[in-house]
Amino acid sequence: MSTLTEAPPPLAPAEPAKKPPRKRGRFTPYWLLLPGILWLIVFFALPMLYQASTSVQQGSLEEGYKVTWHFATYWDALSAYWPQFLRSVFYAAAATVLCLLLGYPLAYLIAFRAGRWRNLIMILVIAPFFTSFLIRTLAWKTILADNGVVVHTLNSLHVLDLTNWLGWTAGDRVLATPLAVVCGLTYNFLPFMILPLYTSLERIDGRLHEAAGDLYAKPWTTFRKVTFPLSMPGVVSGTLLTFIPAAGDYVNAELLGSTDTRMIGNVIQTQFLRILDYPTAAALSFILMAAILAMVTLYIRRSGTEDLV
Amino acid sequence: MPFVTWLKRHLVVIAGLLTLAYLLLPNVIVTVFSFNKPKGRFNYEWQRFSTDAWKDPCGVADMCGSLSLSLQIAVWATVGATILGTMISFALVRYRFRARGAVNSLIFLPMAMPEVVMAASLLTLFLNMGAQLGFWTILIAHIMFCLSFVVTAVKARVMSMDPRLEEAARDLYAGPVQTFLRVTLPIAAPGIAAGALLSFALSFDDFIITNFNAGSTVTFPMFVWGSAQRGTPVQINVIGTAMFLIAVLFVLTSMVVSNRRNKQKA
Amino acid sequence: MKTTSDNSGDVRLSGISKTYGSFTAVHPLELTVPEGSFFALLGASGCGKTTTLRMIAGLEEPTTGTVRLGDQDVTHLPPYKRPVNTVFQSYALFPHLDIFENVAFGLRRRGIKSVKKQVEDMLELVQLGEQARKKPHQLSGGQQQRVAVARALINHPKVLLLDEPLGALDLKLRRQMQLELKRIQTEVGITFIHVTHDQEEAMTMADTVAVMNGGRVEQLGSPADLYENPQSTFVANFLGTSNLIEAEVDTKNGDDIVLRAGGGKLVLPEARCSAPTTAGGKVLVGIRPEKISLTHADDAGEIPEGRNRLTGKIADASFIGVSTQYVVDSPVCDELAVYVQNVERDGRLVPGADVVLHWSPAHTFGLDAAQSLLAGTVGSAGTEEEVAA
Repeated sequence: MSTLTEAPPPLAPAEPAKKPPRKRGRFTPYWLLLPGILWLIVFFALPMLYQASTSVQQGSLEEGYKVTWHFATYWDALSAYWPQFLRSVFYAAAATVLCLLLGYPLAYLIAFRAGRWRNLIMILVIAPFFTSFLIRTLAWKTILADNGVVVHTLNSLHVLDLTNWLGWTAGDRVLATPLAVVCGLTYNFLPFMILPLYTSLERIDGRLHEAAGDLYAKPWTTFRKVTFPLSMPGVVSGTLLTFIPAAGDYVNAELLGSTDTRMIGNVIQTQFLRILDYPTAAALSFILMAAILAMVTLYIRRSGTEDLV
Repeated sequence: MPFVTWLKRHLVVIAGLLTLAYLLLPNVIVTVFSFNKPKGRFNYEWQRFSTDAWKDPCGVADMCGSLSLSLQIAVWATVGATILGTMISFALVRYRFRARGAVNSLIFLPMAMPEVVMAASLLTLFLNMGAQLGFWTILIAHIMFCLSFVVTAVKARVMSMDPRLEEAARDLYAGPVQTFLRVTLPIAAPGIAAGALLSFALSFDDFIITNFNAGSTVTFPMFVWGSAQRGTPVQINVIGTAMFLIAVLFVLTSMVVSNRRNKQKA
Repeated sequence: MKTTSDNSGDVRLSGISKTYGSFTAVHPLELTVPEGSFFALLGASGCGKTTTLRMIAGLEEPTTGTVRLGDQDVTHLPPYKRPVNTVFQSYALFPHLDIFENVAFGLRRRGIKSVKKQVEDMLELVQLGEQARKKPHQLSGGQQQRVAVARALINHPKVLLLDEPLGALDLKLRRQMQLELKRIQTEVGITFIHVTHDQEEAMTMADTVAVMNGGRVEQLGSPADLYENPQSTFVANFLGTSNLIEAEVDTKNGDDIVLRAGGGKLVLPEARCSAPTTAGGKVLVGIRPEKISLTHADDAGEIPEGRNRLTGKIADASFIGVSTQYVVDSPVCDELAVYVQNVERDGRLVPGADVVLHWSPAHTFGLDAAQSLLAGTVGSAGTEEEVAA
C-alpha cells in the first residue's frame, strides 16, 4: 500500500552519510517521473475534469452537448437515484464488516498458527485470482441455486424465515436478494482484506504475545490490548480496499441480484452504456467519487493513520 | 471438558479454515462444472459427467479469440505499467523534488477510486477526443490503473534497499550505468516482478473499465459477461479451471526450485 | 603486494570542508596521511569523521578544499575513477551475488577478464576459500567483514578506507579482527584510513590517530602521545578517563609550574601544559586514574617528597579483578577516579576511609580552563553541539 503523505527523506545533520543529497542530475527525477505522471494526468486526472464538465452540460446525442452550468442535473440525479446510493453504501459496508470478520481469523491463522502450511494457505488465498472473477461469481449462482443444498439447509433450519423477516431474502430464494449480492461482494473482495491484515499481523513480534501473557493478560485480553491495536494499519487499509471497490461494483448486483438490488454502479453503467444520458451518468459518478473521497479522508483522519493505503 | 478446551484453543484455526473454504468453494464448483453436460444454454445445474468441453476448449465461437486478446492486452499493459511505474518509484525513493506530495496523491488516487468512476470518466475523455474504442483504448486504460500498483510494489522494495550498496558499486569502479544494471536493478527485481505479476492479473481479469472503453472489442471477461446473459458454455469453466491449476502449479514449482537451490547452497 | 616509493599513496587534504545547508559537518581541515601508515579518525558519532572519509572516497563532494592522492588532485573525480576503495559500515556486500562475484566485482568492472586466480588468492588471504559460492547472508558477521576487506583489497587501491568496519561485531570477534586487519595492513603495506568511535580500537590498530570533535581535528598523534599528553578536555575524557582539577597558577619554578588547588600545591611540568600560564590564571590539572597511588591517611608520612598530593575520603570501591577502582571525594574535586593494581591490597581502603592521593608530577598534564570539564565524557552535551554552534 503506498504512502499517502510521505515526508521527504530527512537530512539529519547527525548522520549525513545515510541520505546523501544528490547533486548530479538535478533533472533526473523529473525525467523519470515524466512519462508515468503524464500518463496519469492525461488518462486519470484529465478525464475527471472532462467528466465534471460533462455533468453540467445539456443537449442530446444528435445535437451535441454544451456546457450550460446546469447544476440541476446533480439534484435530479440524486433525487432519482438516492435509493441506489444508500443501497451501495449499505451493501458495501455490510460486505466490509463481513470481510473483516471472516478475513481476520484467516489472516491470523496464516500469520501465527499455520507453521509450515503458511505458504500453501497463502497460495490458496491468491490463486483464485487467476480464475476470472466473473466465472467465480457465476459459480455462486450454482451454490445459491433455488433447489441447491445451501438454500435447502437454510430453509430447514428456518434461517430463511429470519432473513425474510429482516428483508435480506425473499420467499424461498437466496438468489436475486440482497443477501446474495452482499455474499458475492464479500467473496470478491475478501482477499483484499486478508492480504493487508496478514501483512500487518506478520510484522508483530511473537514475543509481544508472550510478554502480554507474562504480564497477566488472558489470551482474549492479549488480542484486544496488543494484537488488534498493532494490526490497525492492516485493518484500515483492508477496509478501504474492500469498501471502495465494493461501493462502486455493479457485477455482483447484476449477476446475483435483481432489479431491487441495483447499486449505483449499475445505474452509472446503464446511463452511460445503454441510455446514453451522459450528463446524468457523469453527475452520478462525480457524486460517487466525492462521497467516497470524503468518507475515506474522514476515515483515515479518524483512525489516525495517515500514511496508509 | 476436554472438547471445549480443544475447541477454545483451536477456534481461530477453525474459523480461518472455514473462511478459506468459503474462498475456495466457487473454484471447486467451477472445476466440477467443467465436467458437466448441461441440458440448456446455462451451466448452473448438474446433469451428468462429460469431458466434452475439455476435449474441445475452443469449441465456442469467439471465446478463444477473446482469450488471446485478453492475454495480449495483459502482456502489453504489464510491460508498459512496469516500466513507467518502476521509473516513478525510483524517482520517489531516490530523489527529492518539488511537487512530491502532488505526485504521491496522483498515484494514490487511482487506487482509492471506484473502478466505475474511472471507467466512466475515461470514456468521457475518449468520446470527447473522438477516439476509436478498441484495443488501444483498453490498453491505455489498463496501463493507467496498473501503474499505481506497480509503483507501490517497487517502491517498497527500493525503499528497503541499502543505499550503501550502490555506493559500494561506485567505489568498486562501476559507473552510473553499470551500477544500475549490476546492482540496483537485480536487487529491485523481486519488487518489479511482484508489480508486473500484479499488473498482469489485474489487467487480465479487469471487466468494469474494459467494458466501458472497449467499444465492440470483446475481451475474455467481457465474453463471460455476455455469456451470463446469453448462455454459459462449459468451456468457460474449462478455461477458469486451467488458469487456476496453471497458477498453482507455477507457484509450487518455483517454490520447490528455490527451496532446493537454497538447500544445495547451504 | 605492491610497494611504491613515490609517495603516491599519501593522502593530502587541504582546506577541505563540508556543509549541509547551515550545518557544517566538517570545518576546513588540513591533514596529511603518509603512505603506508595505518591512520585512524576517532570521534563520537556526528563529529564529521565519516564525512571526511566519504570525501576521500569521492562519495561526498567537499564544499571547499582539495583531496590529493600523492600528486594527483582527485577532488572532482567520481568514486569509480579513484584508486581508493572502501570497506563500508555493515559491509554493503551485494546480496544477489555470491562471495566470489562480490570479490570479483571491482576487477570485472575494470574490464579484467581472467579474475579466477586473483579472486581465489584473495579469498585465501582472508581465509574464505571454502565459502566462494555462498551468498553473503549465509556467512557470519566476521566472515562478511573479511569478504568486504577482500572485495576492496583485490583492486590494489592506493588507499583503503574503513568506515567503522568492526562496529557490527561482538566484542571478542572485534578484538580478533583488529589484529587480523593489522596483519593484513602490514602484509600489503598500503595506506589504511580507519574511521571509528571506539578509542580502544583506534589505539590498538593505528600508528597515528586524529581525534575529531564537532567537525574539527582536536589533536593528532600517536596513541601513546594522545593518551599521555592530551591537549584538550575532549581528548582527555574521550580517550580513557581523566581526573580534571581546577587550579590557579602560583609561581614558576624552573621548568615546572606550581599551582594552588584548595589548600595544597600541585606541580606541573611546563612542557606538559597546553594552556597559557600567567600568574593567577586558571588551569585544569589532569591526571590519569592509574597514575595515582592511594595511601591511608595514617601512613601519610611514608609518602616520598616531591609528589603531588591531595587528601580525600573514599566514597566507593569496586573490585574488578586486575584492579580496584576507587571513587574518592576530595575538597578540591569530587569523584576522583583512582585505579589501583591488586598487588598488595590494603584492607583499610574501604569506603569512608580517609586517604591521601599522590602521583608523580611528570604524569600531570595541564589544560586550558576555559573548556567544558565534561567535553568528551559519555552523555555530555558539550561534545558536538557546542562546537558545531
